[in-house]
Amino acid sequence: MIVIAFALAAVGVFWTVARNRSKQSHNQVRPVDVQALRTLLDRDDELFLRENLPNRRFRHLKRHRIRVTVRYVGRVADNAAVIMRLGETARFNPDPEVARAAAQVLDLAAQIRLQCLLAFAKLAAEFAVPSLQLTPATLAPRYQALRETVLRLGALEMQNVAPASVAI
Amino acid sequence: MKILLANLVLVGTILQLPLAAAVIGKRLWRTFPVFATYSLWNLAGTVVLYTSPRLGLSRNLYFYTYWVLEGVGVLLGFGVVYEVFRELLGPYAALRRIAAGAFRWVLAGLVLLAFVVAYARPSGLPPLMAAVEIPEEAARVVEVGLLAFLFAFSRAFGLHWRQSIFGIALGLGAFTSVDLAVVAMHTHIGQAAYLGLSLARVIAFNASLLIWMGYILAPERVTSTAELPQRAQLEQWNKAMMELIHQ
Repeated sequence: MIVIAFALAAVGVFWTVARNRSKQSHNQVRPVDVQALRTLLDRDDELFLRENLPNRRFRHLKRHRIRVTVRYVGRVADNAAVIMRLGETARFNPDPEVARAAAQVLDLAAQIRLQCLLAFAKLAAEFAVPSLQLTPATLAPRYQALRETVLRLGALEMQNVAPASVAI
Repeated sequence: MKILLANLVLVGTILQLPLAAAVIGKRLWRTFPVFATYSLWNLAGTVVLYTSPRLGLSRNLYFYTYWVLEGVGVLLGFGVVYEVFRELLGPYAALRRIAAGAFRWVLAGLVLLAFVVAYARPSGLPPLMAAVEIPEEAARVVEVGLLAFLFAFSRAFGLHWRQSIFGIALGLGAFTSVDLAVVAMHTHIGQAAYLGLSLARVIAFNASLLIWMGYILAPERVTSTAELPQRAQLEQWNKAMMELIHQ
């Protein structure tokens, strides 16, 4: 019976991805208000609320903030997925500079997507226990490497950047 | 029902001819060498098994022929799964290491599950049937599990499937998961439902042939270049996400 359930679950996974793939083709990048996202994530704000509100009210408010944050993170994740899809085409551009820039954008978009998954996990834990303030210290080395990648990208010359963003 | 089954087997045999033509016509062996071999191997196997009773082969020889064909088919199936993995993650250097690590863990877990499934099978099966079904079920558990992992991973990371590779994975997934369910049910239900289960297996195989053909022959979708953000915007999102994770 376990094997039959396993096979049916696999069919469910195949079906979900196939359905999602047909929807994906119509997706477009949607704007993200990063400033608003930062305001939502401000820990000083959270500290102030925790000190001035009754516990029950604080929990309610924090959960509400998390719900809104999840929507923002979800939008960033969706946008990263759209960029990954579009960037794949430009990877095969005959101009090696464009192809290299596209590969870097692809890489960065994939990293953003990974970060979004981690952020979702963190938000889910904080939603379950609102008093929690998670700092995934073990992730620090990985994200230090990511920071360096972003810096390298920033150092790229504009003539490399422009054709890449036009091509993809 | 027997006539329906025989007709569906014939349809499957015929459908493999245009699939082989598509594989050769599209020169698929250049991009997907294992899948090309797998589809041609299936065609050769069907022809051999279809003609062997008419050539008067003994039951034992037929069994060994079937076992070799099926065994190589399953191994090639694993090769196709690896080909899907390689093609899907090819453009994403950042994800490849994570995916490869997760893939190895999932593989180890599935191999363990396959051993449990093989061990837990009821004894008392005829030896010939046991020799075919036990390894097949164990191998299918691993194959279906790896494919489901690839689909789930791509869903989690929003990876884009190119038309042909998606078709190959979907067709293989559809057939192997139905085949796994059929083999497992056969053990519990026994010969009573043999015809019905065989029918389900043949329908799944024919459906996978149609999926492969459809996706191989359909032109690749062109992605729109509109509405793409600038790189600076990407970096801004990246920074915001890092702040969220680090705080």
